Amino acid sequence: MLIPMTLPLSVAAETWLPESLLPVAYLVAGILFVLSIGGLSSQKSASRGNFFGMAGMVLAVVATMLAPEVASYGVMAGAIAVGAIVGAALASRVGMTSMPQLVAALHSFVGLAAVLVGLSTYLDPGHPLQGPEAIIHGVEILLDVAIGAVTFTGSVVAWAKLDGRLSGKPLLLPGRHFLNLFLVAAIVGLSVPFLQADPGEGEVWLLAIAGVASLLGVHLVASIGGADMPVVVSLLNSYSGWTAAAAGFMLGNDLLIITGALVGSSGAILSSIMCKAMNRSIWNVVFGGFGSDGSAPAANADQPEGEWTEIPLGNLVDRILDAQEVVIVPGYGMAVGQAQRAVDSFTRDLQGRGIRVRFAIHPVAGRLPGHMNVLLAEAGVPYDIVMEMDEINGDLPKTDVVLVIGANDIVNPSAQTDPASPIAGMPVLEVWKSELTVVFKRGRGVGYAGVVNPLFFLDKTRMFFGDARDSMEKINAELKSRP
Amino acid sequence: MIIGIPREGRVGERRVAATPESAKALIEMGFTVCVAENAGLLASFPDSSFEQVGASIVSQEAAWASVVVLQVNPPSVEEIGGMRQGGTLISLLRPAQNQALLDTLMGKKATALALDQIPRITRAQKMDVLSSMGNIAGYRAVVEASQHYGGFFGGQMTAAGKSAPAKVLVIGAGVAGLSALGAARGLGATVYAFDVRVSAKEQVESLGGRFLTVEIEESGETAGGYAKTMSKEFIDAEMALFREHAPTTDVVITTALIPGRAAPKLWLADMVAAMKPGSVVVDLAAEQGGNCEGTVAGEVVQVDGVNIIGYTDLVSRLPTVASRFFAKNVQNLIVELGGAEGWHIDHEDEAVRGALAVEAGELRFPPPKIERPPPPVVAPPTQVTAPEPKAESGVGRLLASAAFVGVFGAIGLFAPIEFVQHFSVFVLSCFVGWQLIWNVNHALHTPLMSVTNAISGIILVGGLLQTGRGESFTALPVILAAVALLLASINVVGGFLVTHRMLAMFRRGN
Repeated sequence: MLIPMTLPLSVAAETWLPESLLPVAYLVAGILFVLSIGGLSSQKSASRGNFFGMAGMVLAVVATMLAPEVASYGVMAGAIAVGAIVGAALASRVGMTSMPQLVAALHSFVGLAAVLVGLSTYLDPGHPLQGPEAIIHGVEILLDVAIGAVTFTGSVVAWAKLDGRLSGKPLLLPGRHFLNLFLVAAIVGLSVPFLQADPGEGEVWLLAIAGVASLLGVHLVASIGGADMPVVVSLLNSYSGWTAAAAGFMLGNDLLIITGALVGSSGAILSSIMCKAMNRSIWNVVFGGFGSDGSAPAANADQPEGEWTEIPLGNLVDRILDAQEVVIVPGYGMAVGQAQRAVDSFTRDLQGRGIRVRFAIHPVAGRLPGHMNVLLAEAGVPYDIVMEMDEINGDLPKTDVVLVIGANDIVNPSAQTDPASPIAGMPVLEVWKSELTVVFKRGRGVGYAGVVNPLFFLDKTRMFFGDARDSMEKINAELKSRP
Repeated sequence: MIIGIPREGRVGERRVAATPESAKALIEMGFTVCVAENAGLLASFPDSSFEQVGASIVSQEAAWASVVVLQVNPPSVEEIGGMRQGGTLISLLRPAQNQALLDTLMGKKATALALDQIPRITRAQKMDVLSSMGNIAGYRAVVEASQHYGGFFGGQMTAAGKSAPAKVLVIGAGVAGLSALGAARGLGATVYAFDVRVSAKEQVESLGGRFLTVEIEESGETAGGYAKTMSKEFIDAEMALFREHAPTTDVVITTALIPGRAAPKLWLADMVAAMKPGSVVVDLAAEQGGNCEGTVAGEVVQVDGVNIIGYTDLVSRLPTVASRFFAKNVQNLIVELGGAEGWHIDHEDEAVRGALAVEAGELRFPPPKIERPPPPVVAPPTQVTAPEPKAESGVGRLLASAAFVGVFGAIGLFAPIEFVQHFSVFVLSCFVGWQLIWNVNHALHTPLMSVTNAISGIILVGGLLQTGRGESFTALPVILAAVALLLASINVVGGFLVTHRMLAMFRRGN
């Protein structure tokens, strides 16, 4: 990857360092970031990949500090030290169930940092600019600030929704598409006087752009329902990358551009994977206002008639002990109920009895891509029994017992049978093909998508109501009493 | 309220409409249960077992005179004569074929619930005696077949020679057919199953059978999940298929019934003749005239060396389990009727209304028709193909190409060289990122997000450059940059550490 590297901010300063050293250090840092993401292709190389990432970051910071135009270290050392302490505290405290909130919060920091760097650069560009150079620089700054502001406020709203501080329901304002269009138009409109202003004197316009972009960020995320949060979080991940890339253009820094492009593509691909897993287009997710009870009245109108059959604890344990193949389908309910450790000890108990236990993970289970995998890993479940949907769907007809723990829409057969269903065509785990499906459910309501699940009424389905963790612990206790 | 369980009047019947288990449940619901002497004897439920759960043993006449009478088979006109005025009967009734019975019941001002008329909806499955009995009949059909077949069902390879697995053909993959399929598979046979309903394919295959189809576009399924009569072309194709299989098939089990009509003739005399001597045909439709030409109801006959089993009491040959299932179905219906305290005939209840043949002397059969989709068990989910993503239109593609040329052209013509250099880095990095991310393991998507989060904190480089120029730290640009630096550092350190924590958790099993 031989990419021409240019010196950031071509200032002629006296320095003892050769001119090319900084760009080369950035190139190496860029390669390390590429390797770091490459390492995530398998669990074995993943940890090494993370160390590559850290090494790249350290290299980039040290090299920048040695850059010719950096002359004082006091302020930066203080800021980095405080940031590092806060970051370390956050990272070591956060529970794995709160990962979605943490990721959203971190996105908002990137966005805000980009806005601040943009403002700072505008106020103090370091060297005078003229003509087309000044215009391009102006465009770069306003892009950085606008994308940064959208990322910032969007992530704050996403964080609040994931943390339960805001309702998961989408905010559906009348004419919301026009509102979005109007806000984008306003940003474009404000950029004209900003670019015409004399350098260093258009900050009012820049702040106005930041303000309008903030509104846009709030409105975009507020109008997306809770069930679509995995897509939103990965979209914001993408935005934070594009923000960094825009900052790279603004500062003329290739490392920022490389990193931003990597992160931006990463988020974009994750969003696309999530959308495919829900059989929806990205436009439908972002502008559809889907994922609330209110959006699916048609489905509620013709609820499949039927009644659940509950299974008593003793019976359930009998069936599990008679089984040879057990598959567990975890959903967000497992995370909410903090049941993953109880699920792990359940798994170990069954493995000790020679029963094969595996996990079936739907791509959009949980509130973050790969969320269930992390929760199970935290609880100690080995990753080689945790399967993706496509790996395990073919085995479900041969499975004796499927335990659905706090999942709903991802096991809904109407995705395949009812073309009118809001989730029609969404790939789902075909648990109903197994001998017995037991659904662990806290309440008797519908799933996040507000869609009735006919699975519950099938005659090979049994319900086990209660908090996920309590239920698993009851089962574990019952298992202990059996030889 | 007294529930009476008389002995079955039908010759050879071994089942009983209540078991000690169901009697106990009925007593708990508030009923007094009176069982006729030796009513459960043939099903291995002696009188003492009923007494143990609190039921009384009474004479046959007293049992018939109870307020509610439970029976398995449709009673005879004489037996109904023993009912009390205004009593209630719950049994199989076949009201369409038994007009005389209905008349007698009406004369008694009786109420009669026909268990065979309960609609096949999901909610009513717990009362569906046809399904529970069909399951038993299918199993027993295989047991009878194996008794008359001179070979193994499963293949064997021994020092004394080898024996190929028996080839079993099940015609009609309803409840009984599927049960027979499962039982024959369990014994090791190779099983083929034929059904006119395409929806049966998945169920057949899920039990390890091979589904036979006729290549004519016509689904033989009615809205109620039953089979219907097919067109002539279809039947011709079906017959040709059967003829093709007849010489190699060792056991044929036919289960084809169309409600309210004589059983269709599917296994014709020439097919019987084409079978190897010693082969077996079990005809589950013998009572309705048989699916096989040559079937004699209630008997085993030999035609061209082929044993044709026409037993009409297959279910009764497993009396204990059949009685238990039957009694449980009846018990569930009685729960539906409200038990002893809340006893009422609810016309809104689809299951009850379907079964209701006579109410207080008034004819209620047939029930008003209700159109409804087939229940999921009878018709398994058919795959809905996902809506195809719209193909890109030619115009769209043209526009995209034009935009592409336009953007790159504009950059090449007007942008300063420095911007072009950055732009090339950007575009190439997007491609690298695109390639890289698709390789990331799905299970590691959360760590991917946190690590990309950490490296997008690279924006701190911008903060470093702005804070490091040596200007006063009270200058606004420096303050802004310092805050940005602080936030970005949180991201970098927090992101990498939390990724490290997560990755350390992923471990292999032993």
